[in-house]
Amino acid sequence: MIDLRYAFILAFGSIRSAKLRSTLTALGIIIGVAAVVANVSIGASFNQYFTDELGSLGSNFIIIYSQDVNIFYDTELELIRNTPGIEGASAFNQQTAPVTYLSATRQIDVQGVSEDAQYISNLGVAEGSFLTDKDKYVAVLGKEIATEKFDKNISVKNYIDITIKRDDGTSVTRKFRVKGILASEDNTFVTGGPDRDVTIYVPIATLNEMLNVTDYGGFSAKTGSAESVQEVSDEVDKRLARALGVPTRDLDNDDAKPYRIFNQAEIIEQLDTVTNAFTILITMIALVALIVGSIGIMNIMLVTVTERTSEIGLLKSMGYTKPDIIVLFIMESIIVGVIGGILGTVLGLVGSYIVETYLGVTPVFPFYLIFLGFFISVFVGLIAGVYPANKAANLNPVEALRHE
Amino acid sequence: MAGCNVQSPELNNVIDIQGLKKSYFLGNLEVPILHGIDLCIKKGEFVAIMGPSGSGKSTLMNMIGCLDRPTGGKVMLMGRDTNAITDNELAELRGFEIGFVFQNFSLIPRLSAYENVLLPTYSNTKDGMDTSGRARDLLKLVGLDDRTGHKPAELSGGQRQRVAIARSLINDPSLILADEPTGNLDSKTSVEIMDIFSDLHKKGRTIVMITHDPEMEQYVDRVVHIRDGNIGNN
Ligand SMILES: Nc1ncnc2c1ncn2[C@@H]1O[C@H](COP(=O)(O)OP(=O)(O)OP(=O)(O)O)[C@@H](O)[C@H]1O
Ligand SMILES: [Mg+2]
Repeated sequence: MIDLRYAFILAFGSIRSAKLRSTLTALGIIIGVAAVVANVSIGASFNQYFTDELGSLGSNFIIIYSQDVNIFYDTELELIRNTPGIEGASAFNQQTAPVTYLSATRQIDVQGVSEDAQYISNLGVAEGSFLTDKDKYVAVLGKEIATEKFDKNISVKNYIDITIKRDDGTSVTRKFRVKGILASEDNTFVTGGPDRDVTIYVPIATLNEMLNVTDYGGFSAKTGSAESVQEVSDEVDKRLARALGVPTRDLDNDDAKPYRIFNQAEIIEQLDTVTNAFTILITMIALVALIVGSIGIMNIMLVTVTERTSEIGLLKSMGYTKPDIIVLFIMESIIVGVIGGILGTVLGLVGSYIVETYLGVTPVFPFYLIFLGFFISVFVGLIAGVYPANKAANLNPVEALRHE
Repeated sequence: MAGCNVQSPELNNVIDIQGLKKSYFLGNLEVPILHGIDLCIKKGEFVAIMGPSGSGKSTLMNMIGCLDRPTGGKVMLMGRDTNAITDNELAELRGFEIGFVFQNFSLIPRLSAYENVLLPTYSNTKDGMDTSGRARDLLKLVGLDDRTGHKPAELSGGQRQRVAIARSLINDPSLILADEPTGNLDSKTSVEIMDIFSDLHKKGRTIVMITHDPEMEQYVDRVVHIRDGNIGNN
């Protein structure tokens, strides 16, 4: 039986003698493996990104949006607050409104919240303090509002004017004292919640009074632990539905309810579904590339077998067995595959790094990517080599030697 | 019908061919090439096989070298019936007991002279043999100790054939089979190659050589004539 070391030396020598051909042959594998590696890395980076984003809200976050006006009132807020497992709940309303500071006016998201919002959304305060439910005309500013939005920086104890538009077309302007400025945080767009850096928070009661309404757009809440979030959110859902007169048989039917409730676990799950679908799609494309690549290797190996027919006869005359010949040719095809795999892995890592940097997500390279690229290419090389190697091994030595 | 008259238990009969028949089949049509050949070659003999083109010399040599199986009769090598062993055992027999030398040198162009000589040992190595040392010794024996690193393309025809002879000896085989080893060489180079074979013969090697050249008769112990697949008279 042929020594694998020598089989490697012989196979490698034969690949080296046809560098251009081998490189072109490997190209299919390079592209396929690069696609798989880049795909896995980009998927992992996005997952990490979303998880981090949601993590800044706390992992036990529940958010409820009303689907219509006049659904949510204080009764519902109290009901949520009193659900076992809930540690804080806030009502919210929101309007994009003109905000004036020192005669400059800007359109800014104004968010009415309860004092619990600080705890629920992990709103870190850099200067001053957060609003309380007793406050009236005070505002807490996102970092960007205070430092970038206006010509002059706004600091605590400055005053701003906020103009709120009512449904009846009239508008009302009030002067607000800046009570606090938030610490800068990464985006939280994933939840559909406000980007805290460019939001002004005011007491919900004040905003509702200016809006001349008593209902709320929704609630945010937080549970005591991440483990209980699904259970508690189900309980909140059940209580809300019952209180709003949703028939018991419709409790599992989201369309029968005038609101939507999400929790962190569900949001992550939905993101996973999206990323998984994306991953499956690209994996299919990569698979096609790999199949094409392996057919390329097989094709070249068949050409090689024909070209080296007399060599194969010679090897047989000097005592090489069928298994020896099979090992030699499969080795050659695996080496082409692995070279393609190594180049493809490097290309995939570099490519995904560029894409991830461009999209602004932190690149994540799971360690197993290296092995994944390697094993795929060994496997593809192996599969591609079987048929040509068998063909070579089964050549009749007399005929093969006669071949010129 | 018999090959060797005495069935020596000491394996003195390197080749013992009895009633060997070989036919090729063109579709269903049987084309007989060898019609029942008996041949005995003893240890240490240097035998030339001569005959017209197409008479079946190479076919006979392929049978002796276990590259093909007979249609009828049997080939005994070193006392072993080659009909009775498997393909893999035949390959091993070729690797250890037979060294081939071909007309067209048959070297691997990608490998150096030294690596070409070593090539048979990658698959079959005799226990305890210093293969690399032996490869160098053999290249020295054929006068190529200054050409070990050369690729076949960098060697002359005669030098390539010397490499092939060195390669045929690497596993210290019982039998050298040479099919027109000087067929592609000029007469001066042919003499040099024949001197090497003579030398090997004097050292006790068993050599069977196919040739067209009557000049070669002077080097050998015995000439076997083949005509239309039959052994003729000496
Ligand atoms: N694979 C094959 N199929 C059919 N016929 C074959 C095959 N191989 C050889 N032959 C025939 O067998 C006969 C003997 O061929 P062989 O090669 O043994 O001749 P040879 O004596 O070596 O001739 P030369 O001196 O020209 O080398 C030829 O007529 C050849 O055509
Ligand atoms: Mg011939």
